[in-house]
Amino acid sequence: MRSVNRFTCEEAFRRLDDYLDRELSATEMELVREHLETCAACTREFTYEAGILHEVRRKLARVEVSPELLARIARQLEEAANEG
Amino acid sequence: MKERSAELAAFESQFKDVAGPAYGYALRLTQNRADAEDLLQTAALLAFRGYGTFIPGGNFKAWFFRILVHEYWGRHRAAQRRPSTVSFDDLPDLHIYSQASDAGLPTDGADPGALLIQKLGVDGVIEALDALPEEYRVVSTLYFMQDFTYQDIAAVLEIPIGTVRSRLHRGRKMLQRALWQAACDAGIVEPVEAGEGAT
Repeated sequence: MRSVNRFTCEEAFRRLDDYLDRELSATEMELVREHLETCAACTREFTYEAGILHEVRRKLARVEVSPELLARIARQLEEAANEG
Repeated sequence: MKERSAELAAFESQFKDVAGPAYGYALRLTQNRADAEDLLQTAALLAFRGYGTFIPGGNFKAWFFRILVHEYWGRHRAAQRRPSTVSFDDLPDLHIYSQASDAGLPTDGADPGALLIQKLGVDGVIEALDALPEEYRVVSTLYFMQDFTYQDIAAVLEIPIGTVRSRLHRGRKMLQRALWQAACDAGIVEPVEAGEGAT
Protein backbone atom coordinates (compact mmCIF):
# COMPACT_ATOMS: atom_id res chain seq x y z
CA MET A 1 0.00 0.00 0.00
CA ARG A 2 1.44 3.37 -0.95
CA SER A 3 1.43 6.38 1.30
CA VAL A 4 -1.12 9.08 0.71
CA ASN A 5 1.44 11.76 1.61
CA ARG A 6 4.22 12.04 -0.89
CA PHE A 7 7.34 14.14 -0.88
CA THR A 8 7.94 16.71 -3.58
CA CYS A 9 11.43 17.01 -5.09
CA GLU A 10 12.12 19.91 -2.74
CA GLU A 11 11.00 17.98 0.33
CA ALA A 12 13.05 14.96 -0.68
CA PHE A 13 16.09 17.07 -1.47
CA ARG A 14 15.92 18.81 1.92
CA ARG A 15 16.39 15.36 3.47
CA LEU A 16 19.19 14.21 1.18
CA ASP A 17 21.99 14.17 3.80
CA ASP A 18 19.87 12.60 6.51
CA TYR A 19 18.54 10.02 4.07
CA LEU A 20 22.01 8.98 2.94
CA ASP A 21 23.11 8.78 6.58
CA ARG A 22 19.96 6.83 7.57
CA GLU A 23 19.17 9.47 10.17
CA LEU A 24 15.51 9.93 9.18
CA SER A 25 12.56 8.30 10.86
CA ALA A 26 11.33 5.08 9.25
CA THR A 27 8.34 6.96 7.81
CA GLU A 28 10.48 9.67 6.26
CA MET A 29 12.94 7.13 4.88
CA GLU A 30 10.04 5.41 3.19
CA LEU A 31 8.65 8.67 1.80
CA VAL A 32 12.02 9.61 0.31
CA ARG A 33 12.38 6.10 -1.11
CA GLU A 34 8.95 6.33 -2.69
CA HIS A 35 9.84 9.68 -4.23
CA LEU A 36 13.07 8.30 -5.66
CA GLU A 37 11.20 5.40 -7.24
CA THR A 38 9.30 7.81 -9.41
CA CYS A 39 11.73 10.70 -9.93
CA ALA A 40 14.70 10.03 -12.19
CA ALA A 41 16.23 13.49 -11.67
CA CYS A 42 16.31 13.16 -7.87
CA THR A 43 17.54 9.58 -8.12
CA ARG A 44 20.45 10.76 -10.29
CA GLU A 45 21.39 13.47 -7.76
CA PHE A 46 21.04 11.18 -4.73
CA THR A 47 23.08 8.42 -6.40
CA TYR A 48 25.80 10.89 -7.38
CA GLU A 49 26.01 12.22 -3.81
CA ALA A 50 26.05 8.72 -2.37
CA GLY A 51 28.92 7.82 -4.71
CA ILE A 52 30.99 10.81 -3.55
CA LEU A 53 30.27 10.06 0.09
CA HIS A 54 31.20 6.42 -0.24
CA GLU A 55 34.43 7.16 -2.07
CA VAL A 56 35.56 9.89 0.36
CA ARG A 57 34.97 7.44 3.22
CA ARG A 58 36.92 4.74 1.39
CA LYS A 59 39.84 7.12 0.82
CA LEU A 60 39.93 7.96 4.52
CA ALA A 61 39.74 4.36 5.60
CA ARG A 62 41.65 2.98 8.53
CA VAL A 63 45.11 4.33 9.29
CA GLU A 64 47.49 1.78 10.77
CA VAL A 65 48.98 2.62 14.13
CA SER A 66 52.62 1.55 14.42
CA PRO A 67 53.52 -1.40 16.69
CA GLU A 68 56.18 0.85 18.30
CA LEU A 69 53.55 3.36 19.39
CA LEU A 70 51.30 0.62 20.73
CA ALA A 71 54.23 -0.83 22.67
CA ARG A 72 55.07 2.61 24.07
CA ILE A 73 51.47 3.09 25.20
CA ALA A 74 51.35 -0.41 26.75
CA ARG A 75 54.52 0.34 28.75
CA GLN A 76 53.09 3.65 29.90
CA LEU A 77 49.84 2.04 31.01
CA GLU A 78 51.68 -0.65 32.88
CA GLU A 79 53.71 1.98 34.72
CA ALA A 80 50.52 3.81 35.60
CA ALA A 81 48.95 0.58 36.85
CA ASN A 82 51.99 -0.15 39.01
CA GLU A 83 51.93 3.37 40.45
CA GLY A 84 48.25 3.18 41.21
CA MET B 1 47.58 -4.65 42.96
CA LYS B 2 45.75 -7.64 41.51
CA GLU B 3 42.72 -5.42 41.00
CA ARG B 4 44.79 -2.85 39.12
CA SER B 5 46.17 -5.58 36.82
CA ALA B 6 42.67 -6.80 36.07
CA GLU B 7 41.60 -3.23 35.33
CA LEU B 8 44.59 -2.78 33.01
CA ALA B 9 43.74 -6.00 31.16
CA ALA B 10 40.11 -4.92 30.78
CA PHE B 11 41.13 -1.46 29.56
CA GLU B 12 43.67 -2.82 27.09
CA SER B 13 41.21 -5.29 25.61
CA GLN B 14 38.89 -2.41 24.74
CA PHE B 15 41.61 0.07 23.82
CA LYS B 16 43.17 -2.21 21.21
CA ASP B 17 40.00 -2.01 19.10
CA VAL B 18 39.87 1.78 19.10
CA ALA B 19 43.61 2.56 18.92
CA GLY B 20 43.73 2.50 15.10
CA PRO B 21 40.63 4.65 14.49
CA ALA B 22 41.67 7.01 17.29
CA TYR B 23 45.13 7.41 15.82
CA GLY B 24 43.62 8.11 12.39
CA TYR B 25 41.41 10.78 13.91
CA ALA B 26 44.29 12.25 15.93
CA LEU B 27 46.34 12.42 12.74
CA ARG B 28 43.66 14.42 10.96
CA LEU B 29 43.16 16.71 13.96
CA THR B 30 46.84 17.48 14.44
CA GLN B 31 47.89 16.98 10.79
CA ASN B 32 51.22 15.79 12.10
CA ARG B 33 52.44 12.28 12.98
CA ALA B 34 54.48 13.19 16.05
CA ASP B 35 51.67 15.27 17.54
CA ALA B 36 49.10 12.57 16.71
CA GLU B 37 51.19 9.91 18.46
CA ASP B 38 51.62 12.15 21.49
CA LEU B 39 47.90 12.95 21.55
CA LEU B 40 46.92 9.27 21.40
CA GLN B 41 49.46 8.35 24.07
CA THR B 42 48.22 11.06 26.44
CA ALA B 43 44.57 10.23 25.78
CA ALA B 44 45.25 6.54 26.51
CA LEU B 45 46.85 7.41 29.84
CA LEU B 46 44.06 9.81 30.80
CA ALA B 47 41.44 7.25 29.81
CA PHE B 48 43.10 4.52 31.84
CA ARG B 49 43.30 6.78 34.89
CA GLY B 50 39.63 7.64 34.45
CA TYR B 51 38.53 4.12 33.50
CA GLY B 52 36.53 3.90 36.70
CA THR B 53 34.12 6.49 35.27
CA PHE B 54 33.41 4.38 32.18
CA ILE B 55 30.11 2.57 32.52
CA PRO B 56 30.59 -1.11 31.62
CA GLY B 57 28.58 -1.98 28.54
CA GLY B 58 28.66 1.64 27.34
CA ASN B 59 30.15 2.90 24.10
CA PHE B 60 33.88 2.70 24.84
CA LYS B 61 34.85 4.15 21.48
CA ALA B 62 32.71 7.28 21.96
CA TRP B 63 33.93 7.58 25.56
CA PHE B 64 37.58 7.33 24.50
CA PHE B 65 37.14 9.74 21.60
CA ARG B 66 35.60 12.28 23.98
CA ILE B 67 38.76 12.15 26.11
CA LEU B 68 40.95 12.46 23.01
CA VAL B 69 39.02 15.46 21.69
CA HIS B 70 39.11 17.15 25.12
CA GLU B 71 42.86 16.71 25.22
CA TYR B 72 43.20 18.05 21.67
CA TRP B 73 41.10 21.10 22.50
CA GLY B 74 43.09 21.62 25.68
CA ARG B 75 46.15 21.97 23.50
CA HIS B 76 44.45 24.12 20.88
CA ARG B 77 42.13 26.35 22.85
CA ALA B 78 42.65 29.29 20.54
CA ALA B 79 41.51 27.29 17.51
CA GLN B 80 38.44 26.03 19.35
CA ARG B 81 37.36 29.51 20.35
CA ARG B 82 38.10 31.14 17.03
CA PRO B 83 34.75 31.53 15.27
CA SER B 84 34.59 30.50 11.67
CA THR B 85 34.60 33.38 9.22
CA VAL B 86 33.20 31.34 6.35
CA SER B 87 30.25 32.82 4.56
CA PHE B 88 27.58 30.22 3.91
CA ASP B 89 25.77 32.30 1.34
CA ASP B 90 28.05 31.09 -1.42
CA LEU B 91 27.97 27.41 -0.50
CA PRO B 92 25.84 25.74 -3.16
CA ASP B 93 24.10 22.40 -2.85
CA LEU B 94 25.37 19.51 -4.98
CA HIS B 95 28.46 21.50 -5.95
CA ILE B 96 30.39 18.69 -7.64
CA TYR B 97 27.29 17.39 -9.37
CA SER B 98 26.36 20.79 -10.78
CA GLN B 99 29.92 21.68 -11.75
CA ALA B 100 30.40 18.30 -13.43
CA SER B 101 27.12 18.77 -15.23
CA ASP B 102 28.10 22.28 -16.39
CA ALA B 103 31.47 20.95 -17.52
CA GLY B 104 29.72 18.34 -19.64
CA LEU B 105 30.92 15.41 -17.54
CA PRO B 106 28.61 12.42 -17.08
CA THR B 107 26.31 12.61 -14.07
CA ASP B 108 24.73 9.22 -14.45
CA GLY B 109 25.93 5.75 -15.25
CA ALA B 110 28.45 3.82 -13.17
CA ASP B 111 29.12 6.02 -10.15
CA PRO B 112 30.52 9.14 -11.87
CA GLY B 113 30.85 11.03 -8.56
CA ALA B 114 32.90 8.24 -7.04
CA LEU B 115 35.09 8.03 -10.15
CA LEU B 116 35.96 11.70 -9.84
CA ILE B 117 37.05 11.27 -6.21
CA GLN B 118 39.01 8.15 -7.14
CA LYS B 119 41.04 10.18 -9.59
CA LEU B 120 41.80 12.73 -6.91
CA GLY B 121 43.51 10.15 -4.72
CA VAL B 122 43.91 9.89 -0.96
CA ASP B 123 46.15 12.95 -0.60
CA GLY B 124 43.71 15.16 -2.48
CA VAL B 125 40.82 14.10 -0.25
CA ILE B 126 42.87 14.55 2.93
CA GLU B 127 44.04 18.01 1.83
CA ALA B 128 40.45 19.07 1.16
CA LEU B 129 39.30 17.77 4.55
CA ASP B 130 42.22 19.36 6.38
CA ALA B 131 41.38 22.71 4.78
CA LEU B 132 37.96 22.91 6.45
CA PRO B 133 37.62 25.46 9.29
CA GLU B 134 38.31 23.85 12.68
CA GLU B 135 34.72 23.48 13.94
CA TYR B 136 33.65 21.79 10.69
CA ARG B 137 36.81 19.71 10.34
CA VAL B 138 36.39 18.19 13.81
CA VAL B 139 32.81 17.10 13.08
CA SER B 140 33.31 16.12 9.44
CA THR B 141 36.40 14.04 10.17
CA LEU B 142 34.54 12.09 12.84
CA TYR B 143 31.75 11.55 10.37
CA PHE B 144 33.84 10.48 7.40
CA MET B 145 36.48 8.44 9.22
CA GLN B 146 34.53 6.73 11.97
CA ASP B 147 31.41 4.68 12.02
CA PHE B 148 29.62 7.15 14.29
CA THR B 149 25.98 8.16 14.18
CA TYR B 150 25.01 11.81 14.64
CA GLN B 151 24.13 10.89 18.24
CA ASP B 152 27.60 9.41 18.82
CA ILE B 153 29.26 12.52 17.37
CA ALA B 154 27.11 14.73 19.60
CA ALA B 155 28.19 12.66 22.62
CA VAL B 156 31.88 12.77 21.69
CA LEU B 157 31.91 16.51 21.12
CA GLU B 158 29.33 17.30 23.81
CA ILE B 159 27.26 19.46 21.48
CA PRO B 160 23.56 19.21 20.56
CA ILE B 161 22.65 16.81 17.77
CA GLY B 162 21.18 19.73 15.81
CA THR B 163 24.60 21.38 15.82
CA VAL B 164 26.16 18.16 14.55
CA ARG B 165 23.60 18.03 11.75
CA SER B 166 24.10 21.64 10.65
CA ARG B 167 27.90 21.50 10.85
CA LEU B 168 27.94 18.28 8.87
CA HIS B 169 25.63 19.73 6.28
CA ARG B 170 27.83 22.78 5.82
CA GLY B 171 31.02 20.78 6.19
CA ARG B 172 29.94 18.51 3.33
CA LYS B 173 29.22 21.51 1.14
CA MET B 174 32.60 23.08 1.90
CA LEU B 175 34.31 19.76 1.30
CA GLN B 176 32.64 19.39 -2.09
CA ARG B 177 33.82 22.84 -3.11
CA ALA B 178 37.36 22.03 -1.95
CA LEU B 179 37.33 18.66 -3.73
CA TRP B 180 36.17 20.20 -6.99
CA GLN B 181 38.84 22.89 -6.71
CA ALA B 182 41.46 20.23 -6.03
CA ALA B 183 40.29 18.30 -9.10
CA CYS B 184 40.60 21.49 -11.17
CA ASP B 185 44.06 22.25 -9.76
CA ALA B 186 45.21 18.71 -10.52
CA GLY B 187 43.94 19.00 -14.10
CA ILE B 188 41.45 16.17 -13.58
CA VAL B 189 38.60 18.43 -14.67
CA GLU B 190 38.37 21.71 -16.51
CA PRO B 191 37.16 24.57 -14.31
CA VAL B 192 33.78 25.94 -15.30
CA GLU B 193 34.00 29.60 -16.32
CA ALA B 194 31.88 32.02 -14.29
CA GLY B 195 28.62 32.67 -16.07
CA GLU B 196 28.60 29.28 -17.72
CA GLY B 197 25.83 28.15 -15.44
CA ALA B 198 27.92 27.50 -12.35
CA THR B 199 25.79 27.53 -9.22
